Amino acid sequence: MSAAADAPPADGPAPGRAWWRRLLSDPLALTSAVFLALVVLSAVAAPLIAPHDPFASSRSVMQPPVWTDTGSWAHPLGTDGQGRDMLSRSLYGTRLTLLIGVLSVGLGGVLGSILGLMAAFKSAIDPYVMRVVDVMLSFPAILLGLALVAVMGPGAWPVIVALAIATVPDCARIARSIAVSVMKQEYIEAGRAVGLSDAALFTRYLLRNAISSIMIFISLRFGQVILIGAALSYLGLGARPPVAELGMMAAQGRDFLLFAPHIAVIPSVLIFLIVLTANVLGDALRDVLDPRLRG
Amino acid sequence: MKILLATGAMLLGAGLAQAQEITIVREVDSNNYDPHKTTSRAASEVLFMIGDTLVSLAPDMLTVEPGLAESWEVSEDGTLYTFKLREDVQFCDGKPMTAEDVVYSVERWIDPDTSSPVAWRAGDVESVTATDDYTVEYKLSAPFSELLYQLTQSFGTIVDQANVEALGDDFGVTGFNGTGPFCWVEWTPRDKMIIERHDAYTWGAPFHDNQGPASMERITWQIVPEENTRTVAVLTGQSEISQYVPYIALEQLKGAPNVEVVQSDLAFWTYFMGFKIDKETVSDPAVRRAINLAVNQEAMAEDLFFGVVQPAYSYVSQEALDWDASLDDTLLKFDPEEANRILDEAGWARGDDGVRAKDGVRLAPTAYVFAGSGWAKLSEAVQAYLREIGVDMQIQAFDATVAWGKLATQEFDMFGMSYPYVSSGDALNLYFRSENMPTPNRMNWNDARTDELLLAGATAITDETRADSYAQVLKIVHDAALWLPLYHEPMVIAQSTELETVTPHNIYGAGLYKGLDLKFAE
Repeated sequence: MSAAADAPPADGPAPGRAWWRRLLSDPLALTSAVFLALVVLSAVAAPLIAPHDPFASSRSVMQPPVWTDTGSWAHPLGTDGQGRDMLSRSLYGTRLTLLIGVLSVGLGGVLGSILGLMAAFKSAIDPYVMRVVDVMLSFPAILLGLALVAVMGPGAWPVIVALAIATVPDCARIARSIAVSVMKQEYIEAGRAVGLSDAALFTRYLLRNAISSIMIFISLRFGQVILIGAALSYLGLGARPPVAELGMMAAQGRDFLLFAPHIAVIPSVLIFLIVLTANVLGDALRDVLDPRLRG
Repeated sequence: MKILLATGAMLLGAGLAQAQEITIVREVDSNNYDPHKTTSRAASEVLFMIGDTLVSLAPDMLTVEPGLAESWEVSEDGTLYTFKLREDVQFCDGKPMTAEDVVYSVERWIDPDTSSPVAWRAGDVESVTATDDYTVEYKLSAPFSELLYQLTQSFGTIVDQANVEALGDDFGVTGFNGTGPFCWVEWTPRDKMIIERHDAYTWGAPFHDNQGPASMERITWQIVPEENTRTVAVLTGQSEISQYVPYIALEQLKGAPNVEVVQSDLAFWTYFMGFKIDKETVSDPAVRRAINLAVNQEAMAEDLFFGVVQPAYSYVSQEALDWDASLDDTLLKFDPEEANRILDEAGWARGDDGVRAKDGVRLAPTAYVFAGSGWAKLSEAVQAYLREIGVDMQIQAFDATVAWGKLATQEFDMFGMSYPYVSSGDALNLYFRSENMPTPNRMNWNDARTDELLLAGATAITDETRADSYAQVLKIVHDAALWLPLYHEPMVIAQSTELETVTPHNIYGAGLYKGLDLKFAE
């Protein structure tokens, strides 16, 4: 974050050409991108590809996954303590987990960026906005989630709102620090001099030059948000049963850890992989987009 | 140097003769250990060991045997109980226990200033008087057929007036002077409770093999919230005995050479979901009957609880005192087709999403349950069964700290609960009396006939009248399908093979009862 604050100014409105091509030339980034794309696709298509009803329980409880001696292809990832198909639940669970991540990062990111950019653009409101952001920053996301759930009742929405609120201050700070350095640039002065309106100056000069750095931050934030969201669900605050969510599935599997570890391990590994690949991709994205690191 | 040697010798001696000390792991602690000010099972477990009651309950849950009272007489009209006390009983501090202590204990129990949540269990007391040092007259305004059973509970523990007054609000928190086989040493809330042998104890109930003193010198009740950790503690010998091992671990524990699992045949702790009968959806008796028919308790008992628990179709154990065996054949058992038929007939039609509705009301009752793995499993299993008949049950789980408050509101349609009892009358009077609305009568069951019969049962002088009154109440409430019974939980104890096999007791879920059976095998 502080690194971004003293970043040298970007010297042109658009970042380098074919940035995605450079991104995918990195084998690690390519693997991550392919994996994430697969996860997202299968999550989106969950209702089509899930072999079983994710909510239907059966008498075959705690079936091990297919790669163990007693596993069977009827339930490739086994079943949970209620006899529900783990593969179907994982697909639906990933869907909800990703949805929570995307929505909260999206909402918080947009709101935070606007606040930060505005603060840098209009120095009159800067102290007010940043003090509000300071206050928000002092509030842990988990605590905020607990409070919101107490008011709104458990469910996916309070978690999304809590995570979005938690994303706002960080994002606002990053956006502001980037925007402040952009505002010092000569082309802003020039724009002012030729009589551009505030709106045009904001969107055409400031936003375009700041957006890539903000996007990098948001992409790095995504993994973090998924983790906190899963933690909240693990505490029983997120998704309400019978809905599946990876954090909640891990929590339910805890009771079976000694005897049927796959019930807790499968969703945990999924969370791990999603967060890991999201972070790797975010890092790679920064390498490609960050003007300082551009060769 | 001398001191060092002496200490070394002492340690060596202690090492040779096995220390008579055990650790018992359990899930939760109590808020206090004042017998009149808590209803928690955790408090009862310790109070049974550090205190005594006038009468004791045998492991069959039916026979009342002597405790601090060596004999008692009940007057013909059932309102006067005369207890003859043992003359050899003393408190942990050495003071002899007399009739005055009994009088003080009962008076404190029912004193409105104590605001005891369990005062009703003492009956409608008119007066308690000591006619001499070892005779107590317990006079009731109306007969109370449950009285002797209630007096076996830890709420009837005899306390020491001087101790209560000296400690004030700290009574049962920083100390407790009782007459039990063990004495209070130290309590660290939410961590551990340490108790020590009461060497003078010789007044155990006749059904104990050992009437005292206890064999164990020191017992540590250790709180371990996580169930896998408790399992490992028992497996590795960090804890010698525990009734709080998860059912899923029982097979493994049974297979371990150093662990023995004992289980009671009786199961006097019942899990159920109740219906708030004045709510839009579950006010329809057809809905309540259908829900009862939709759930397969037998499959749940096997799949979720590994066959350890007894599937429940009745609201109290069918072994409980005054259960009416003629109801056995009328209980609602798993029959989803019949459930669907009843709902169709009652006009609840399935919508596009498979959920039934009637007059624009979706059949989606909200259920309040306790947060935690036990109720999560249970309520989700019920939810899955109900989906099959087009009932979309919504689960709202609350942490125990807020759940009791939430369960006292009128917000929900169904609720999950479990409770211990000594007899049918005990259970029925608690849950189905109209004056117990809104809690524990969370169903809002307000029926004059039920109240009348419950009163008749409670004040019955003969066993027949009592049994007959309660049988009628049982029929009324089962016919109305006010609950969805789920399972009866037996007492299951995992113990080290270093200990002699204990007899699990069902009294208020405190499986080790007085702790007199706890003994290292020779």
